[in-house]
Amino acid sequence: MLDAIKPKKSVIYLYLLLPVAMFVFTVFVPLVAALVYSFFEWKNGPVKTFNGLANYQQLFADATFWQAFGNNIYLVVACLVGQIGIAFLLVLLVNARTTKLKGVHRTFGFFPSTISAVCIGMIWTMVYHNKYGILNWLLEVVGLEHLQQVWLNNTENIMLIVSIPLIWQFIGYYMVIIFSAIAGIDSEVFESANIDGANAWQTAMHITLPLIKNTMLVCITLCVAGNMKAFDNIYTMTKGGPGTSSMVMAMYGYKISFEQFNLGYGSTISVGIFVLSLLVIGGSQWLVKKITAKVEV
Amino acid sequence: MKKLVSLLLAIMMLASIGFAFAEEKVAPVVAATELAYKGALELMHYSTSEESQGNGGSDGFRSVIAAWEAAHPDIQLTQNVLANAEYKTQIATLAGANDLPDVFLLQGMNTIAWAEAGLVLDMSDIIKASPYYADYNTAFFAPFTTPDGKIYGLPALTGGTCTVVIYDKAMWKEAGYDAFPTTWAEVEKAAEYFEAQGIDTIAFGNGGQWQMNSDFISTLGNRYTGPEWFSSLIAKTGAKFNDPEFVAALTETQRLFKDTKIFNEDFNAVTNEDAREYYIAGEAAAFIGGNWDESYIAAVLKADNEEKFNNIGFAVLPQPADATKAPTSQNIGLGYAMAINPKVAEDPDKLAAAIDLCYELTGPAFSGYVAKYYALGGLTKVADVDLSNFDKITQDFYNWSYVDTETCEIYDSYINSAVWSVLNTDMQAMCNGEKTPQEVADATQAAYEANY
Repeated sequence: MLDAIKPKKSVIYLYLLLPVAMFVFTVFVPLVAALVYSFFEWKNGPVKTFNGLANYQQLFADATFWQAFGNNIYLVVACLVGQIGIAFLLVLLVNARTTKLKGVHRTFGFFPSTISAVCIGMIWTMVYHNKYGILNWLLEVVGLEHLQQVWLNNTENIMLIVSIPLIWQFIGYYMVIIFSAIAGIDSEVFESANIDGANAWQTAMHITLPLIKNTMLVCITLCVAGNMKAFDNIYTMTKGGPGTSSMVMAMYGYKISFEQFNLGYGSTISVGIFVLSLLVIGGSQWLVKKITAKVEV
Repeated sequence: MKKLVSLLLAIMMLASIGFAFAEEKVAPVVAATELAYKGALELMHYSTSEESQGNGGSDGFRSVIAAWEAAHPDIQLTQNVLANAEYKTQIATLAGANDLPDVFLLQGMNTIAWAEAGLVLDMSDIIKASPYYADYNTAFFAPFTTPDGKIYGLPALTGGTCTVVIYDKAMWKEAGYDAFPTTWAEVEKAAEYFEAQGIDTIAFGNGGQWQMNSDFISTLGNRYTGPEWFSSLIAKTGAKFNDPEFVAALTETQRLFKDTKIFNEDFNAVTNEDAREYYIAGEAAAFIGGNWDESYIAAVLKADNEEKFNNIGFAVLPQPADATKAPTSQNIGLGYAMAINPKVAEDPDKLAAAIDLCYELTGPAFSGYVAKYYALGGLTKVADVDLSNFDKITQDFYNWSYVDTETCEIYDSYINSAVWSVLNTDMQAMCNGEKTPQEVADATQAAYEANY
C-alpha cells in the first residue's frame, strides 16, 4: 500500500530541487565564499589581493573581536539563565492548579517574541532614557533617586542592560516550547508524585525536568545559537557603545565589512563567528549531556 | 444661515487654493542640449521623496532630474533612490563587486581608493569643458581631487555647515550674555547659571558615534592644527593623527565633555535628533549640530513656537584657551559629487548624456532653484541672491553659513571610513574617560597607516 502511494524518486528530487537550491545559494555559497574571501585583502573596491593567513593573524590579535566574543558569551549565559530559566519557572507557575486565566498568560507571554528586534530596541531605549524613561521615573517614585543614571552610557554594566530586553523578548518563546513538552508528560506521573507527597519544587526538579530533558537541550541549543548571532537589539540601543563595550561579534563583522568596507577581514570575522559558534554550541550540548548523565546515574 | 456657512466655506476653499498656487514653486529649467543617445541611463542617489519634503538640496535635486527627464524623453533614466545610510552601504557593496551604476553620487572619502581601482571616470577635462565652469566654486572640488590633481566628480547638492551652535538669544540674555560666548571659559561660567536653573547649557548627541567627528572635532581640531595639517594628512605628506596639536584638540574635547557641566549628561547615549529636541523643548539653552538640524529646528519652532523661533541665534564653536588658529571657522562643504562609471565611456553618446545630466544637476538650474526657494548654495555660484523673501532666521543662517564665517574642511569628506570608524568609536570611550586622548590618537594613526 505504502509503495503504491510512494512517489517516484525523480518526483522527490524535483520537489527537493527548489528548496535545496535556495539553501545552497543562501547558506552554503555565502559560507564558502566568505571562507575564500577571508584569504584576501579586499578593501574599498573590487581589487582583491591574496594575503594568505594575514587576516587570521589579525583576527587572533584583534582585541575588539575577542572582547565581542566575550560579550556574546555573556549574552549566552545571561539568556540561558534569564530566558530558559525564567521561562521554566513561569511555565510551572502558569501550569499550577491555582493559576487563573492560563490562556491569557500564555498569549501575553508570547507577545514580545512576535515584535521585531528593532522595535524592541527602540522601546527599551525609551525605557532606559535618563530624562523621559520609565526606569528613572520609577526610581524617583520609590525614593531611589541616587540610582538614577544614563543607563545606556554605563560602560560597566552595559552588557547586563542590553541583555534584559533580549531576555524579556524571548521568555515567551521558550515558554511555548516548554509548555508543549510538559503537556506531553502523562498526568499520572504527576498524580503519583502528588500521592507520594512530593512538593512543587521536588516535582519540578526530579520529575518534570528529567522528562523534558531533550526539549530543554533543544531550547539550550536555540538559545546559544541565537545569542551567538545577536545584533539588531543591541545595534538599535547602543551601536556597540559606549566605545566598544557592548560590541558583539556579528556587529563587529558588520562594522568592519560595511562601515570600514574591509570585506576581506569582514569575511574572516564571519568565519571566526561560524567556528566559535559551532564550538560553543557543541560544547554546551556536550556539557548538558554530561551533567544530565551524571544526574541520572 | 446655511447659505452663509456655504458661502464662507466656498470662500475659504478658494482662498486655500489661491495660497496653494501662490506657494507653488516654478520648476527649474535645464539647458535643452541635443543628445544623440537613446536608451537607458542608470542613476543612483539618496534624494528620496521623504527627504525632499524638508530638505532644499533634495528637493532641488529631484526637481532638476524631473526637468532633465522631460527635456530628454528618448532617454530612460532608471533611478535607484535609497535613504542616505542605505545608499552608502549599497554603493560601497556595488563598488566592491565592480558593478556601479552609470551615474552616481561619489562620497569624498572614497575618491582616492575608487579612482585607484578604476571605478570612477576622470572628469578633469569634462569639468573644464562645462558651460558653467566660470561660475563654479572651485574650492568644493577638493574632496574629489586626487593628489595628482585629477578631479573625479562634480560636487552636488547643497553646501551646508556640519558644526553650528544654535542658541536661544532670550535664554542667554537672561544669563547675562548679549551674544553667544566666543570662548569655552565663558561657556563654562554660563553653565553654572544654567545648571542652577536646571537647564543644560548645550545639548549634543553622540549616540551614533559620528556626531563627535562631523559636528565637533572637525572644527575644533582646525582651531589647534590649522588647515595645513589636515591637507598634509590627505596628501600623506607627513602629518599624523598623534601630532601634539591634534592630541591637544582631543584633550580639550575630553575635558569639555567629561570634566565640565556644559553638555547634557546623556550626550553619549542620545542622537542628534534627540538632543535637538532638548533645545526645542527649552531644556537646553543651545545645541550643536549640522545644517540638517538647523532646518528641522527652524521648521518646528516656526510652526509651534514663534517667539522661540525669532530668538534663534547662530554662532561658531567657542575658541579653546590654548588654541591659536582660525577662531571663527566652521566646517562646510559638499560631501558628494556626481560621478560617472568609466564603462559608460565605451559609448560616446551615452557618455555625453551622462555628462549633460551631471552638468545640469550641479549647474545654474539647481543652484538657482535652491537659492530662490531655500536660500542655499551649491557648486554653481548664484549672483545677488535675493534674501528679502525669506524670514530673518533663514537670512541670518545664510549669512552665517556663506558670508560671515571662515570655513574649514569636513574631516570625513576625506581619507576613508576605516580611519573614521576607529576615531569615532574611540572618542566615545574617551569622552567617558575610558581612553586617553593619546591612546585615541595612536589608534587612529595606526588605522590611517593600515588603511590609507
